[in-house]
Amino acid sequence: MKSQDDLERIACAEEQWKHDVLEPRVKRFQLEKSPTRFYTPTAARDFDFLEKVGFPGQYPFTAGNNPFDFWRAYAEAGAKMGVRPEYGGSGAAGRYSGYGTAEDYRDYLLRMQSLGSRGGPNVAFDLVTQCGYDSDSPFAAGEVGRVGVAVDSFRDFQVIYEAFTGDRDIDRVPSNFTINAPAAVIIAMYAALAEKRGIAPAQLRGTPQNDILKEFIARGTYIYPPRPSMRLFRDTLVFCRKHLPKLNVTSIGGYHIREAGATRVQDLAFSFANGVAYLQAGVDAGLDIDDFAPMFTFNAFGGSMEIYHEIAFQRAARRMWARILRERFGAKDARSMMIRQPITAHIGCTSTTLQRPLNNLARAVVGGIASGMCGGLPAVYPPFDEPLGLGHSLESIQLQMDATRILIFEAKVADVVDPWAGSYFMESLTDETEAAAQAELDKIEAMGGAVAAIENGYMPRAVAKSAYERQRRIENQEDFMVGVNCFMGDNELEVSAQRMVDELYDAAHMATAEERQLAKLAQLRRERNGKAVADGLAALEAHAKDEAVNLMPDLIECVKSGATLQEICDVLRGVFGEAEPVKL
Amino acid sequence: MNSERKIRVLVAKPGLDGHDRGARVVAYGLRDAGFEVIYTGLRQTPEQIATAAVQEDVDVIGLSVLSGAHLALTRKVIEQLRQQGAADIPILVGGLIPESDKPALKEMGVAGVFTAGTPISSIAAFIRSHVASM
Amino acid sequence: MTMAARTWNDLVGGVRRGEPRPLARLISQVEDRVPGWEQAMKALYPHSGGAQVIGITGPPGAGKSSLTNRITASLVARGHRVGIIAVDPTSPFSGGALLGDRLRMRDVATTPGVFIRSMATRGTLGGLCQSARDVARILTAAGHDIVLIETVGVGHDEIEVVKAAGCVAVVCVPGQGDAVQTLKAGIMEIADVFVVNKVDRDGADAVITDIRAMLALAADKRNETVPVIATCALTGQGIEPLVEALIAPAARAAEVMARHEARVREEILTLVEREIARVVRERWGTNAELDSTVERVCSGELDPYSAAQSVLRSINLKD
Repeated sequence: MKSQDDLERIACAEEQWKHDVLEPRVKRFQLEKSPTRFYTPTAARDFDFLEKVGFPGQYPFTAGNNPFDFWRAYAEAGAKMGVRPEYGGSGAAGRYSGYGTAEDYRDYLLRMQSLGSRGGPNVAFDLVTQCGYDSDSPFAAGEVGRVGVAVDSFRDFQVIYEAFTGDRDIDRVPSNFTINAPAAVIIAMYAALAEKRGIAPAQLRGTPQNDILKEFIARGTYIYPPRPSMRLFRDTLVFCRKHLPKLNVTSIGGYHIREAGATRVQDLAFSFANGVAYLQAGVDAGLDIDDFAPMFTFNAFGGSMEIYHEIAFQRAARRMWARILRERFGAKDARSMMIRQPITAHIGCTSTTLQRPLNNLARAVVGGIASGMCGGLPAVYPPFDEPLGLGHSLESIQLQMDATRILIFEAKVADVVDPWAGSYFMESLTDETEAAAQAELDKIEAMGGAVAAIENGYMPRAVAKSAYERQRRIENQEDFMVGVNCFMGDNELEVSAQRMVDELYDAAHMATAEERQLAKLAQLRRERNGKAVADGLAALEAHAKDEAVNLMPDLIECVKSGATLQEICDVLRGVFGEAEPVKL
Repeated sequence: MNSERKIRVLVAKPGLDGHDRGARVVAYGLRDAGFEVIYTGLRQTPEQIATAAVQEDVDVIGLSVLSGAHLALTRKVIEQLRQQGAADIPILVGGLIPESDKPALKEMGVAGVFTAGTPISSIAAFIRSHVASM
Repeated sequence: MTMAARTWNDLVGGVRRGEPRPLARLISQVEDRVPGWEQAMKALYPHSGGAQVIGITGPPGAGKSSLTNRITASLVARGHRVGIIAVDPTSPFSGGALLGDRLRMRDVATTPGVFIRSMATRGTLGGLCQSARDVARILTAAGHDIVLIETVGVGHDEIEVVKAAGCVAVVCVPGQGDAVQTLKAGIMEIADVFVVNKVDRDGADAVITDIRAMLALAADKRNETVPVIATCALTGQGIEPLVEALIAPAARAAEVMARHEARVREEILTLVEREIARVVRERWGTNAELDSTVERVCSGELDPYSAAQSVLRSINLKD
């Protein structure tokens, strides 16, 4: 830290420089102002290293959650063995996947295992399941098994796990579930599966996404209104802490919020508003903060091409969350204060373009550099053909992995932790980002918190407006996207890429998934004990009306009896009502 | 054409796909282009879309789908429009539409497919010229 | 025959038969003032008196659309055929509009006997009120016996629109600061029913109390019978009593007649005013007179008042 005198001398020198060097140059090129900036110590006047940065692995975690991640510990060994890590590394959940019926997905998982995959299932559910409908609902037409696997019942769930037995049983491998509105039902199925297999539920690991608030803001697969949705969240939180203590409770994220058009500041503020609401739910349920906050994870925040800003974002996010946990919620355990997320900075899928798709690889490398420089795996994401809507080809996955490897082993991006710490520029940018996000978060808290800011439409509308703002800036060439609104035309080459599509998902399966699922539903209804189903649903309905009752035990009984996902969700629809769409 | 005549557009998301960034941006953009935009939001059934198109007497229907179900859903919407005697209302489709599916959509009778990166001004111009020629 | 080729007679016939496409097309053409529209309205007028027209107004965020959805479902269950006019503001910059009320009316969006039409204010002098009246008549002629008009809730226009309705419901919500103060001047006077929506929220009782107090204080004896109904559109609470209050016949027939006469008077004046304005604009739009007049005023040669008077002297309104 510079002394006051030093700062004054520097400030004076800066004024002199502006007069002697900068302004003449601006004038020479007939500009209104300089297109670049230069930062001096005066930009970070009050910078206190220990207060603002500290050390990786210690409060306030600005520099990172630890001095090095586990992947870095084994990176050289992995390179020598030619390990092909799926996200998260071995022993964790495998590649995000899911399609067709449970049988189709199970067979796919077995195929992946025969090719060397060792992770647990990282399950994508179809939209029908995500919205709490069965495959025979009128809403299901055209959607069954499309963006994920169709799960209508506990039976389907069990079929998926036929791929995980023996040394891959559910006490050995974790499961990820990208499920939100009916997360409680899927968690119930997971617990019921353990019971059926004679495995202690306390052994179950993994992460349900279980982040309903962002659905109202950005992703759209909600069922019930916000308040009863928070009741269900509380039920999962309390139940998991007691019975499935190794299961992460939620995977919160600004990722979808940013992808829906939010600005960087909105991403951070809205994510934390949601996170605060979830934390408060635990506190209100009588739990000790350090008892459950360590089991909160973050899915990812959003990203953009602005590399410096995304690095600052991650630093600000870590510091802000740590402060919220310690000062607002009184956490004492370091693990409560850390943001646990599989990836850090990235460019976001909305930064990729359909035009000249190979450019997306260059773009994703920028994201990898950013993430390597802010405490994460230098992950290059997404694969270049992401926007084509055809799935990721084998080439794009290979190039993505190689780019990540190049950043780790050749560029050695991650060998220095938080390399920007102390930079006048980066510290001031981090402070600015944090201050702006805090102001927005305060605004939401003044409204009554995330639920209030959803009910009054504030957060969803803010995101829609930001999305529109961005579109206008692109159409007016205030923002540039290469190949989209600039550098097009006759002198440019529309470079295309040869793709060999990854035939992992059988198109024939997807085409017949709906009819096969309908047949299975009919069979289930014939074979199950109707009375047990009705009794279970009746008990669920009665308890749902009493806010104090935890519905997880009832949900477990319902799924075991063979009640379908929609039957269960419809009972809750009857009691809670359905969420209203947000007006623009 | 009467100077008061406004072009009316229906913007709808059929199916369960909840990613409405594109639909919202197009809705705002077409409003700013001077159109009256009937925005019906998420989870529209084909019947709701066709009924709205008829009741609102829209000049064009815009469908946005990012779940990959665009062929099935567009087909169903067209069928409903036919049933309601409104098969003449042109349909535009946007979202995550692979290049290879565009011919199939055109063959169904879709008037235009607008995917990522299309300026809203192009969509507005397309609609205006389509309406003028009717 | 394609929609484009249909004549006014065809459309009027289709409306009388209750066919949705001709109904929708006729509404558009009347709203757009396509030549021939007055003849169509004259043809439909004799069949357009049979409906009860109910206005639903109140500030943004009050839940008018959700209430309209619930009210309509209840009316349908009682055997009514309901037309809904949902109004949203036209952007003064672009002339376009985002019409999003329909989004909240899912329960009745495809119900037979329900017709929902979204309308933009289109910013013309007296324009909205007249369009709403016209469209309400068209919907009535098509066989709907109740027409609900849901207004924007900000600005001057929505009070105007409410003059097209025989019964006006004003919707408030708790949590908007002093809910009663947010009601614009004039609203208290025209409300036939007050609705306090989202009654599950904190502060609902205070709003109900405030409204009752304001009603008691106001000099008009009529206010003693104005009901204040608590609702929750999300759960359906209070909807049935609200519907009862809306469709109940008015207590005093003489007052109903007087209000009806006042509305007719106002309508005739508005039609005349609007036509004059249209003629003037059209006339000035077809020659350069306006441009030269503006130049003369800007250069100081002429003042705006004299400019207006010279126009009035030279207008010939004969068709």
